Amino acid sequence: MSFLQPLLSGILTGGVYALAGIGMSLVFGVMNISNFAHGDLMMLGMYLAYFAFTLLHIDPYLSLVLILPTAFLFGYLLERLFINRVINHPHQNQILLTIGLGLIMSNTALLAFTSDPKILTTSYSSSAFNLPGGISISAPLLFSFLITCVIIAILYIFLSKSTTGMALRATSQNREAAQLMGINVAKMSAIAFGLGTALAATAGALIAPTYYIHPLAGHSFLLKAFTICVLGGLGSVVGAGVGGIIIGVVEAMSATYLSSDWKDVVVFVLFLAVLLLRPQGLFGKKGGQS
Amino acid sequence: MKKKFASIVAAALLALPMLLHAAPVRIGFINSITGKEAQIGENLTNGATMAIEDLKIKGIQVELIKEDDGGDPKNALAAYEKLVTRDAVMGVVGPYTSGCANVVASRADQYQVPLLVPAAAKEEITMKGYRNVFRLNAPANVYSMVLMDAVKSYKPKTIAFVYAATDFGVSTVKTAQENALKMGLKEVANEKYQQGQPDYRPSLSKVKAANPDLVFLVSYDADAILLMRQAKEIGLSPKAFLGAGAGYTTAQFAQQTEISNLVVSATQWTDDVNWAGAADFGSRYKAKFGKEPSYHAACAYEAIRIMSESASKSKNPAALRTALKAGSWSGIMGPVKFADYSGFTNQNNHPMLVQQIQNGKYETVYPATFSKKKLVYPFKR
Repeated sequence: MSFLQPLLSGILTGGVYALAGIGMSLVFGVMNISNFAHGDLMMLGMYLAYFAFTLLHIDPYLSLVLILPTAFLFGYLLERLFINRVINHPHQNQILLTIGLGLIMSNTALLAFTSDPKILTTSYSSSAFNLPGGISISAPLLFSFLITCVIIAILYIFLSKSTTGMALRATSQNREAAQLMGINVAKMSAIAFGLGTALAATAGALIAPTYYIHPLAGHSFLLKAFTICVLGGLGSVVGAGVGGIIIGVVEAMSATYLSSDWKDVVVFVLFLAVLLLRPQGLFGKKGGQS
Repeated sequence: MKKKFASIVAAALLALPMLLHAAPVRIGFINSITGKEAQIGENLTNGATMAIEDLKIKGIQVELIKEDDGGDPKNALAAYEKLVTRDAVMGVVGPYTSGCANVVASRADQYQVPLLVPAAAKEEITMKGYRNVFRLNAPANVYSMVLMDAVKSYKPKTIAFVYAATDFGVSTVKTAQENALKMGLKEVANEKYQQGQPDYRPSLSKVKAANPDLVFLVSYDADAILLMRQAKEIGLSPKAFLGAGAGYTTAQFAQQTEISNLVVSATQWTDDVNWAGAADFGSRYKAKFGKEPSYHAACAYEAIRIMSESASKSKNPAALRTALKAGSWSGIMGPVKFADYSGFTNQNNHPMLVQQIQNGKYETVYPATFSKKKLVYPFKR
């Protein structure tokens, strides 16, 4: 069997992981908060895509146009109502708050949508492009990867060129100094959390056509997003992107050459190795976080 | 004096309703109401609800104390201990998953309260000689045996295994390997996977490269759909997909006709089998809950019925154990008798059925005595 098959499929799956990781990293960078509700926000994205498809008959990829602003607004409000109250508190309070918010979201979803997994079946859900050499590329996975690339490109331009983006980066680099320079850091936090939520929901919506939609579906991605963030360097957007791809490829490779039972072991051994050799993560700044 | 009299009258009045109605039978029910197996858990809950209603019509009042284990053996054990010590139940039905049932079974003899396992397949549960553990459904070895018997006449030569790294998955495949060996099938791939992953393509590609005649799958709920979708994507097309229970027997799976058509699966129960009341149970269930019952619902229904009927005639858990051991029943799960045979203790030798999805519907195709349709072989897209 060709070496290219797992490589390609790993890169494509890694793209979606990257998107989930980037949202988490952005929130951590700007607010210095580990968002444990991130997986549940992804789950909300999955349900938004599902209902847009079943009720409004909008293609899950097109529905992103609706999901992105809705999720941004939701995240913005979450920050304004809850998160900003703990922003200067010890980490354990922040963790408890985000875990609590996540539990409320997943259990509300459990009550509202029941525990039956929903399956979003589009005309291309199980179709693939066949390349020469017996390699097949999953159509929905390829679409999500391309959309991920576009979103990351837009995010990159936004962060590096726009005034708000620069203010976000300044807040991420040094909150106090940014405030002294006249940046409204409270507003930046809300924007960062809104963006993080929007990215999580997008990742959820992108994976919806190839995965199943379940109130607890976010939990397996939360651990993955967290691993990606730490691997890439907490707070580094580029790091999270690269980290996502690395995890995707390592998973696919170890499933192919070892056993899919062992892929988590390989991922976490690699993760530990990175932490031992480069505690700040691949793209993290040394001693960047207090 | 007057006061004393009044209080005696009041006490007597309060006690009266208890004298008029026999005290309800207390039964514990441990189930996966939340967690990964919650969808199947809901089927069990619904089956139990229908059993309680039917028992009421027959004049048997049951107080069912429901406990959730979330699919976690540690919670299941805590639930069992709570039921037998604090709630003083006569008997316990459950838990659903093999992992949970196996742990709870190991303690049943310590507390001397009968446990009736409705749908967990791991063989070990009734193989340790526990006197208080009874099982209604057929154990894991029957899943693979009946599936392979169904395709035997077509003379397949090679087999690949794809299964979840759970108690159910591992124990089912272990016995499937023994059965395959007996049939002279050559194992060409063995892929164990962790549940809930988004990408099974690497494992399936390995299976495709080995080009097996039969692909034997063990998965819970949604994983089954994911696996079959990705199998179609990469073009895996063996002569038959054999799905051992759980995820391949849900109505939701059958509805995904594009990927599920002609998949063969083993099941404990179907609504078109000729067991007394099976069809009626199926249609009443559909009317009440608005969806098709899975075999788990039928198992839970029958387990609650057997446990409650026996408990209503027994004075204490020890007498209940004797009643379960001695009794025999006939109902929607066919004939039921808890017997000791080939290493099993208190195991109902339940005949399993093989069904195939044909045009979005489950059709019983094997054994011939219970079925109306014929198996379609080889599989084609």
